[in-house]
Amino acid sequence: MSEQAFLVLTVLAEEPLHGYAIVQAVEQLSEGRMVLRVGTLYGVLDRLVADGLAERDREEVRQGRLRRYYKLTDSGVRALQAEVARLSANVRAASAVLRGRGVQAWAGRA
Amino acid sequence: MGGSGLRNLERRYRTLLKVLPRWYRRDREEEMVGIFLAEREDDLDLEHSWPGWGETWAVLGLAVRTHLAAGAALTSVPAKVVWRGEVVRALGMLGLLLGLYYATAAVVQVFTLFGGLDAVAWWRVVELAPFVAFPALLSGRRTLAKVAAGAPALLSVVALGQPGPAALMWTVFQLPSLVTFACLCLGFHRDAPVLPARRLLWWGGGAVVLGVVGGVAAGAGLLLLGLITVGARVFAFVRGDAVFGRALSLFALLQLVPLVLLAVAWDEAVMSRTVLAVLLVLVVVLPVRRRSKAAPQVT
Repeated sequence: MSEQAFLVLTVLAEEPLHGYAIVQAVEQLSEGRMVLRVGTLYGVLDRLVADGLAERDREEVRQGRLRRYYKLTDSGVRALQAEVARLSANVRAASAVLRGRGVQAWAGRA
Repeated sequence: MGGSGLRNLERRYRTLLKVLPRWYRRDREEEMVGIFLAEREDDLDLEHSWPGWGETWAVLGLAVRTHLAAGAALTSVPAKVVWRGEVVRALGMLGLLLGLYYATAAVVQVFTLFGGLDAVAWWRVVELAPFVAFPALLSGRRTLAKVAAGAPALLSVVALGQPGPAALMWTVFQLPSLVTFACLCLGFHRDAPVLPARRLLWWGGGAVVLGVVGGVAAGAGLLLLGLITVGARVFAFVRGDAVFGRALSLFALLQLVPLVLLAVAWDEAVMSRTVLAVLLVLVVVLPVRRRSKAAPQVT
């Protein structure tokens, strides 16, 4: 799973979001590191919908603009869960190695 | 859509979105424009700004992925689009197999005709690029595959530096690798399906074996290649595999161009090449689907 797909799944896990809200939420979650372009966002959404991990939700028109919401499916939740488990295992292993060298795993921020 | 009340920026974004296929735009254009223009309310901005390079690049990438879609990557993709994407990928693969054939034949000829490595110019090492590109593509290292497949094409551009009939001829002979390079770049995008590596390894082995034959006896090797192309085309037709059939006919057309040019430019009419040309013409023009089946079969 790409980092972009992972972040989109994560922000959709909270609540159904429309495209622009997804872009904002991903930027916020990644602390400004990941700014999704529209072309990239739809590539990721198309893939998630085709794989059955996300689906279209309601539509609304706000200030004359169409907003289409997307939500996570049950298998999307399971996929996110599996990815989190995989990443956590990696983090635990890396932290143990760093501790072995007498280095703190979390440098910089508290 | 396209009304006179549109601001310049919106018009520019809508123009940019025209690179996307119509079936995709019908579904997504309004939604995408909404994101592009979200929170942009400054009059000066709405009149004088242009879509940024990053956004443009991302939309172009999306255009390639949707025009040459992989069936699994999108929902509600028209059958024609899936068909087009599969043909481009199959043609890229056939081009790589042809590259393997020529590379093997070149290696064999270095030892049989030229008597060893000392007699060969160092830059001809570029001809071995298919040995890198093919396994790289099968193992999913697509960027490496594209770079390696592009190396011979790059050489042809360098050759163009000295204009003249020889440079032009060289470029024409590079046509298959240039087209292969383009097909790999366009067809094997991020959402392209994973390749059946084991089955394709057999095809690669076949191309290498043929290349050995081609290296030992140039005319016979090429003729054999032509015959196999015809055989594969007939096989595809019988199985109703229109994608493979169409890819083979384009592949044959690519090989025909240098062959015909060679005959015209240097007035060379070798029997084996004439037979090969006739076979290839047949591969190009024969139908890919049975006439009785009106509905296109896409698998």
